[in-house]
Amino acid sequence: MARRQLTNLLSSTTGLVLTIGIAFAIVILLILLLSKEPGTAIYYFFVGPFTKAYYFGNMLNQSIGLMFTGLGIAVAFKSSTFNLGGEGQAYSGALVATAICLALPNLPGIVGGAAAILGAILIGAFLAGLSGFFNMRWGTDQLISSFLISAAVILVVNFLVTGPLDDPKNSMLTTASIAEQYRFLKIFLPSKLDVSIFFAVAAAIGTYFFMQRTHWGYEMRMCGINRNFSRYAGINVAKYLVVPMAISGGFHGLAGAVSVMGTHYRCLKGVTTGLGWNGIAVALIAKNNPIAVIPAALFFAYLDAGAKAAMLHADVTFELAKIAQAVIFFLVTAQALYGFFKSRKKVAA
Amino acid sequence: MAYLEMRGITKLYPASGVLANSAVDLSVEENEIHAVIGENGAGKSTLMKLLYGLEHPDAGEVHLRGEKVVIKDPLAANRLGIGMVHQHFKLVSDFTVAENVVLGSEPRKRGLFVDRRKAAKDVGEVIEEHGFSIDAKRRVKNLTVGQMQQVEIVKMLYRNAELLILDEPTSVLTEQEIERLFGTLRNLIGRGKTIILITHKLEEVMQMSDRVTVMRGGKVVALRNTSDVDKRELSRLMVGKDILLQVNRTPKTFGDPVLEMKGVSIRCRGQERPLLDEIDLQVRSGELVGIAGVGGNGLAEIEDVIGGLRPATAGHIYLHGDDVTSFDAQHLREAGLAYVPADRLNRGASLPTTVRENCIATKHHDFLRAGVLQRRGIREFTRRLIEHFSIDAGESMPAGNLSGGNIQKMILARELSAESDFILFSEPTWGLDIASSQFVYEKMLELRDRGAGVLLISSNLDEILGLADTILVMYRGRVVGRLENNEALTKEIIGEYMLGLRDDSRTPSEAIPSEVRRG
Repeated sequence: MARRQLTNLLSSTTGLVLTIGIAFAIVILLILLLSKEPGTAIYYFFVGPFTKAYYFGNMLNQSIGLMFTGLGIAVAFKSSTFNLGGEGQAYSGALVATAICLALPNLPGIVGGAAAILGAILIGAFLAGLSGFFNMRWGTDQLISSFLISAAVILVVNFLVTGPLDDPKNSMLTTASIAEQYRFLKIFLPSKLDVSIFFAVAAAIGTYFFMQRTHWGYEMRMCGINRNFSRYAGINVAKYLVVPMAISGGFHGLAGAVSVMGTHYRCLKGVTTGLGWNGIAVALIAKNNPIAVIPAALFFAYLDAGAKAAMLHADVTFELAKIAQAVIFFLVTAQALYGFFKSRKKVAA
Repeated sequence: MAYLEMRGITKLYPASGVLANSAVDLSVEENEIHAVIGENGAGKSTLMKLLYGLEHPDAGEVHLRGEKVVIKDPLAANRLGIGMVHQHFKLVSDFTVAENVVLGSEPRKRGLFVDRRKAAKDVGEVIEEHGFSIDAKRRVKNLTVGQMQQVEIVKMLYRNAELLILDEPTSVLTEQEIERLFGTLRNLIGRGKTIILITHKLEEVMQMSDRVTVMRGGKVVALRNTSDVDKRELSRLMVGKDILLQVNRTPKTFGDPVLEMKGVSIRCRGQERPLLDEIDLQVRSGELVGIAGVGGNGLAEIEDVIGGLRPATAGHIYLHGDDVTSFDAQHLREAGLAYVPADRLNRGASLPTTVRENCIATKHHDFLRAGVLQRRGIREFTRRLIEHFSIDAGESMPAGNLSGGNIQKMILARELSAESDFILFSEPTWGLDIASSQFVYEKMLELRDRGAGVLLISSNLDEILGLADTILVMYRGRVVGRLENNEALTKEIIGEYMLGLRDDSRTPSEAIPSEVRRG
């Protein structure tokens, strides 16, 4: 009995706050042990992102991609489909968006930009949808196929970025830059924050509405909760092995496009690295609720910005910052995963 | 002193409120084959789960060789020399026979690694010693069903089981495989083992057992020497006396057929005996057809085939005259199927979702405007169902918070709201209390009187006799009896069909197999 109560507590929101508290305590302890100026270090780690408009804006900017990938994972998980290929989908989205922008240098911004974004969404949706299709057709495991497809795709994109599409005028491993009219509007100079943060928030609200109120959303959720029941009730269960995956991949492709068109203006090698995996963590913390993806992504971006500020302003080394970040991610995702696996077990049974 | 004594065993399942065992006594002598028989839900399986440590009794004691024992889990049962062969095999299909047998008690080498060679050799010895016909190195997925069962028996022998529990061992076997199994059992008795045989097949009881314990409704109703009873008496003991249902079934003339099955069969690979064998069936409008049978004889398969959840491998199904044989559940729903499933907690309802979302599952298309679900319409619809069917629930409650009876009412409300003129009920009152059952009966008769065709699949003879106009009895995947429900028809007669004592589908000489008694 006591154990069950503890379990419930851990998986509830209070549990999440508690976990974050514990994680922060461990980080403070680490800094106290390893830093010669722990006061400054702790200050910048936790308060740093709010000390300058530049830091604050960059923190918000970083959360944009996480919101999109977090939404993608939330939609997939909510439907009990499993997309572990976010890295490859986001990266290929970035490449396709760049390639389209470079191929159409003279179109009006809105037309070419829309084409680039659409292309990125389609490539992501295709790559993830493929895993869904294999699962529907031959029963292959989505976790594995999505991961493997993504791992292969990353290598292909790397080749294209450093080979055929490499910009010879630039010493970095990158493609050429996209034309001015395709770059998103900056809204908080001097930081990198651009207008796409509004798209991300709108996408979160739209996804929530889609999942809760629309025909597809309802059927996807029902399939996610109980496929036996859904099949009996006449819902096309096979279709919903593919559709949520494709939507999930689409969000990842979009994240890649936004990171090119909003921040980097070109497809650098590894430009979206981390977006896919961190999106999973974001979705887990948000418990697959699209609205909760917004604060979860902000929290992730905040930790990253804090670590950067502490490195700049105190004697926190890159390693210590990464370890501190890892401790927090580890505890928070473990806590969220715990509830997730409990519910997945129920679906399987 | 008997070899095994179970005294006053009581087990209540609090979730469903079912008293599965009530002060049950079971006494098994050393080196006998002891049959435990009873209908579905009589409590046989629960009793065996308690003996094998899969469940724990609320009251009662177990004595083995005169000593009181507490069986915590199956491993403890194994240590005491108790082994169980489950009805559904628990084997890893990608492992070899030997790997499956040693799983959980593998021979080690250097304390860490599985000694595969020793495993194969030891298992080979057990197989040879008992004259089984399986190869220890073959993968389980390449075996026939009968051979898989042998693996399960070998598994228990490898663990030095002295008392073997076999749960419905013949339900998946062909006649030849059954003969072979019986040979094995006789051989085991010759080697001093003791066997408990769980079954509802009287033929096997008469052929194999020394003594028989009969269970009904969670209680032991009789313990007999097999030589002192005949099948008719056992059948009467199993089904009990007639209980008249409080229903009023008025005679009617029937209309056109709404559902027809012609020669529908299901055959599985690796299984010689078909799960469904050339089923012919017709439900006319205004007619309530009952399908009776003991579990494992094809009732669940009929449900799945009509519900579109399992394809028939031969034959044709017609709904309102249209061939729907190849339709899946989605298309059958569109063609007007309404269906109350036996598995109401997993198939019939989605417990974590709200009552509202459960109620609209089959007809959410009706509430769409431009692809968006109209909340007001859904709310009104759900409220109406809750009111009409007096469901004790709120529309936003998770369905899992409802009682069993109210979950069934919710499913009924949803399925009946389709106003379909064919509706399938499978085990609609299983586990329900009397008031809820009565409610279900009234609804079924209402549908019939309104002119719908109703198909009732049930292992509860009382409800079949009380409600059905026409009764079909299933045995081993075949329809063995097609009976008009009139005064002359009794539970005993249906019971005899259900247990394979009567069979109209074969010539009389085949119907009652010659009785082979064990010498």
